Formats: sequence, structure tokens, C-alpha cells
Amino acid sequence: MSEEIKANVTMDLKGLACPLPVVRVSQQVKKMKIGEILEAETTDPGAHADFPAWAKSTGNEIVKIDKGASSTKFYIKKLK
Amino acid sequence: MWDTLYYFIMVPMVYIAFATLVLGLLFKFAVVFFSPGIKGTLGTYPRRLPRMLGIIKDAFAVPTAFNKTKVFWFFIVVYHVAFVLLFIGHLELIREFKVLQIIPHRVFLGAGWVGIALIVSVLYFLFRRFRSPHNAISVPEDYLLLILLFLTLFFGSHMNLASRHLDFQFDLAKSREYLSALFTFKPANPSDIVSPYHNVMLALHVLFANLFMMLFPFSKMVHSVFAFCSLNLKRK
Amino acid sequence: MEKEKIQELRQLVKSRLNRPMRYYLDVCTRCGLCYDTCHAYYGIPKKEYSPVNRAEVVRKVYKKYFRPSGFAFPYWGDATKLDERVMDELKEAAFSCTGCRRCMMFCPFGVDMPHILSIAKLLLIGYGNAPEELIMLADSAVEKGKSIDSFKEGYREVIRDLETQVQERLKLPSSEDLIPMEKQNADVLYVGLSGAHSIVHPAVIFNAAKENWTLSYFEAVNFGMFAGDPEKMQFIANRIVKEATSLNVKEVVIVECGTAYRIPKFLLGPLPFKVTSIVEKIYRYIKDGKISIREGAIADALTYHDPCQLGRNGGVYDEPRYVLGALAKDYREMSPTREYNWCCGGGGGLVALDNEDFRVKTGKAKKDQITATGAKIVVSACENCILQLNTIKNGYGLDVEVKSLTELVSENLIV
Repeated sequence: MSEEIKANVTMDLKGLACPLPVVRVSQQVKKMKIGEILEAETTDPGAHADFPAWAKSTGNEIVKIDKGASSTKFYIKKLK
Repeated sequence: MWDTLYYFIMVPMVYIAFATLVLGLLFKFAVVFFSPGIKGTLGTYPRRLPRMLGIIKDAFAVPTAFNKTKVFWFFIVVYHVAFVLLFIGHLELIREFKVLQIIPHRVFLGAGWVGIALIVSVLYFLFRRFRSPHNAISVPEDYLLLILLFLTLFFGSHMNLASRHLDFQFDLAKSREYLSALFTFKPANPSDIVSPYHNVMLALHVLFANLFMMLFPFSKMVHSVFAFCSLNLKRK
Repeated sequence: MEKEKIQELRQLVKSRLNRPMRYYLDVCTRCGLCYDTCHAYYGIPKKEYSPVNRAEVVRKVYKKYFRPSGFAFPYWGDATKLDERVMDELKEAAFSCTGCRRCMMFCPFGVDMPHILSIAKLLLIGYGNAPEELIMLADSAVEKGKSIDSFKEGYREVIRDLETQVQERLKLPSSEDLIPMEKQNADVLYVGLSGAHSIVHPAVIFNAAKENWTLSYFEAVNFGMFAGDPEKMQFIANRIVKEATSLNVKEVVIVECGTAYRIPKFLLGPLPFKVTSIVEKIYRYIKDGKISIREGAIADALTYHDPCQLGRNGGVYDEPRYVLGALAKDYREMSPTREYNWCCGGGGGLVALDNEDFRVKTGKAKKDQITATGAKIVVSACENCILQLNTIKNGYGLDVEVKSLTELVSENLIV
């Protein structure tokens, strides 16, 4: 499944202070078209709860979480 | 016509003014009393003094003004001290208070200087508001109250000074008769407290004072009561 | 603005007319002593950024709808009707204020301007004109509180990775349980933020002090407060209160985050546990000999920026100075300091907004203070302050390093 997902935009959010990762993701998603996918890479452990909560409250979808050794890539599909 | 107007200002309007002052303040207290409190505290730090002492210091010594602008602080203190002295002076117009005569004096402590100090302070506050940045943050209420205070003080102070230094008749006994009659709800027509030529001056003084009392609960003057409450929150 | 909308907004104002608000709205004499005491005014000397003017925007609306004089004789107090222009003024007033309450130190009546501006924020929410970033962040935090169970596993997994970092720092044989979660009857529930640094450094310190602690699932920051939504603020805060009570902890220790500390410590009323800042906790560990730090380890000149919510609004002044005084050979105090310290300009959720240019300008007071100390390291104990201090550093090209106190202690811990 992972090979099928192609991101339209990628963002490097590594090391950003609170609350910038969610803010940046939200701002970027707003600029994108419905159906497009954002790949956001972050080192924040909190993102594992914050991003899904953000997606749920804004009606977008996290289609894949790719956890690496030191960072995680979130693939977010714009639905609204 | 003039007699009716004079009587209205000196008797019914004084009652109206007092009633407005008292009921207005009661209304204000009721509004505060029935407003919900808050769960937490809104204090700041540090608190070097015990709460009550701190509030007294903040309210009466006005350190916030002292630390910022000494001239403004000076006039704030002069104004408030003089206001209290004038209040005492007016109590003595109603009847004699033995306790106030520990230091024997003619009624109105300060031999007329208190009124002058108050007028100068009020003018300072007023003229200060004409320049920037204070003009930009002032509203009509700020000017109107100061003008009203100035007018009240101007006529009051003039009568006091004139009775001390000029041939201006002011009858303390008549004044006490008039005011205590008001307080016992048996008002008489106050025709000869001052000489008939100066009735206008007395009437204007009482008129402006009446207006001031009527506006008191509905203007920023309530800071004289609620400042203690807000200063308490700062240390709670 | 339509009548119905005005009526709806009027109800919102009414909901905020608590007792302190009544005092604050009534006592101001517009004496002007606070006029130039705001860092925003220092950076951009416009009337709009003076505390008294900010409060007046709200006060004039209040007079119009809640004072007999405003209704009968609006000229008297310049009472203002709600309309689009006033809504813009309310927005400029509310979201140029960081809630630092420095102006309160100069007010002869102790008027709490941010408390007054909470009316403005609520009106903006009601009008649909509140900053969407803050609303979005508050909504996410509420959603996290509602569905935390579905996020727990993913979160725990990354926390396990962080345990390895703690193990390396403390040179321990195993990484097991170095960041405990959901530990019943722990002495301390530590509430961090999203970033790894807000968990790893405290975890190093807690383990070094052999503390019986557990990590919260939630972030300490409260965007409901920043947005000005009292219900969301309460919900977001309650997530932590519920977690702490269900785990039966004795103490909740809050990460370096000013608002996160002030809310449970001062704004929620009595709680069944103690609320402490991580800075106070570190101070106690050092005082009690539970941890040791390399004294005088930092040779460069170092200064401390008091986060407003921790210092002026929380009373935590001496603890950070004790810790930094031990760590640094050359500690320099800012001027003015403590309760009169200038706000950095990052509080009140402003760092989350798209306003970097504004924040650089309004950070001028802080820039001038830092420059005057000649310090090479600027330490603070609040994530928002750190973020804003870095914005100031970059905006003015300052040759300083910005560090968090917890990070500095963790790096200089004798293991």
C-alpha cells in the first residue's frame, strides 16, 4: 500500500517548536486541492496524537503513518 | 420665578441628588453582588506586604503613579487629601463635631487653601487631558466631570475665601439650620445663609454639587469605591 | 450588523460580566499611567497598542449595551454600537495583546486588561472573526481529549523511542520504563508538549532524581485560552485534571509553558493535587540534593527572561535565578526585571499566528534589553518565549543563543 501513495507536497517540520507543526500543516492543506496528499515529516512525538486529532476535527484524513528511526512521515489527504 | 428656582436647587434637588447618589450606589453594589464570581484568582506577584496593608498602600500612596510621573502623583495626592478635607468641612456645615475641633479652627480646615489646592489639581487634570496622548484616550465624561468639579469648587471656594477676607456675609448658624433641617426632613426655605446679593453664587455651588452627586454612581467616580475591590483581586 | 447578531453578541458580553469584570470595567479613570507600558506600544507607538485604548474598545461597547448612560446618553462615555469597524478594532486590540499583564503593574487600580480583552475574544468568536489558527488548534485539542484512546498506542510507540535517548544520556543498562505512562499512584504527573525536547530533558532530570513519575498523554498548552473560548479552555484543561485524578497523582508538574502553568495553578479553582512548574521542581531537586549540576559550567555571559505567566503572574522569580546562578559564571540581570520585565511578545497564542513581522517589531523592547546585558546566552522557561526570542534573534540579527532552562540543566547534569 505504501508504494501507492504519492505526495503532492512535502513538508519538513523536524524540530519545530509547539504549536508550529500543526499550524504549518493546516496552512498548507488549506492551499491544496481536494484529494491531494501532503507528506509532513516531523520529529514531534506529540504529532502522533495531534495530527490525527487535527485531521478528525477538520474532516481530513491521515492515509498513512510512516514511522522512521528518528522521525515520522504523515500522509494527509485533503478531503474538505 | 427666581425664588422658585432657588428653592428647587436648595431643597428638592438636594434630595433628588442624595437619593440618586445613594440608590445609584446601592444599584451598583447589587449589580456586583449578583454577578458571578470566578473560580480562580487574578493576582500578580510579588506581594511584599500582607494583603490589607498592600491594598491600603496601593490605594492611598499610589505607588504606580509615584514610580512613573512624580508631578501627576503629587496632584493625585493633593487632590484626594484636599477632597477628604473638604468633605470634613461640609460635615461641619451640618453641625459641630467636637472631635474635629480638637485643633480649634474656623469651619473649613485649611483657611481656604484646601479649595485652592483642589482647584489647581482639577485644572492640572483637565489641561493634562488636552494634550497627547491623553486627549486620544479621553472621553467626554473625563472632561465634563472635571469641568463640573471645577465649577462646584470655584463657587464654593469663592464663598469661603470671600467670607474670610472680604465683606461677604456667611452665616454658619443659618447654614447648620438649613442643612440639619434637610437631614431631618423638615426643610425650610434657606434664604439668608449668605447675603441676598450672593444667593446666586450659593445656588450655583449647590446646583453643580447636586449634579456631581447625581453623576457619581454612574461615572468613573465609582473608582473611589471599587478601586479597593480591584486592588484586592491583584493581591488575592 | 443585524439586530439578531447584535443581540447574540450582547449575550456573549453578558456571559463574561463576572464580578472582577464589573470592577475592571467601572474603575478605569483613563489616567494614562499604563499608556506606554506595553511592549507592542514600545515597538509600534500607536494608540491602538496602548493598554488603556485596548480596554476602551471593549468598555465603550459594554457602556452601550449595559450601562444606563450608554443607552440614554451615549455621548457621555463615547459608548459605541457594535459594527464591522468595532469588530476590527476588537480584533486588533485582543490579538496584539499577549496577556502578559505588565500594564497591570502600572495601573493604580490593578485593572487586568487581558481579562477585559476576554470579552473581545469571545465577541470575535461569536462574529466568526477569531484567528482561525487558534480556533483550529483549540478544536484539535478538544478532539484529542474526546478520542484519546484511539491515539494512545501510536503515541506510546514513539515515547519508547525517546526512552532510548534518556537511557543514553543517563548511561543506564536498560531503557525500560524510563518514561512511564499511565502509572497509577505516581507522585508526579508530568505534562509536556508535542516536541521531543519537552519530554526527553525532563525525563532525564526525573530519572536522575529518582522521581516516581508518569507522563501525560496530553500537551500542557491550552489553545482554548488563547482563542478566548471559555468552554474549550475548560475542556482542554479538564483533560489533564481527569487524567491526574484517575491516576491518583499527588502533583502535576507542568512543562516550560507559561499559560499551561497559570491555568491549573490559578484559574481552575481548588484541585485535588498540587500544581508545580518544572522550574520549581528542578530547583527543589537541586536544593534537596536529588540532582547535581556542574556549577559554573557556563562561562559565557548569560541572562534570564522571566516568562510573564511564570514570573509576574505566577510568582516564580527566585527559583530559575538560583538554578542559573549555579550554572553560570557570569549571570546578568535584565533591566527592568522581574515584575517590570518586558514581555517578549510571543504570548497569548501570538506565535501561532502568521504575524512574524509584527512580532519582530513588538519584540524591540526585549531586543533592547538583551543587547543592554551584553549576554551571549538568553535563557527562558516558556516554549512560547523561546520561540519568540528566536524570532527576535533572527529578526534583529542578534549574536546570542536562546536556551530553555530545563535543557540547560539536563545538559549540565552530573550523571
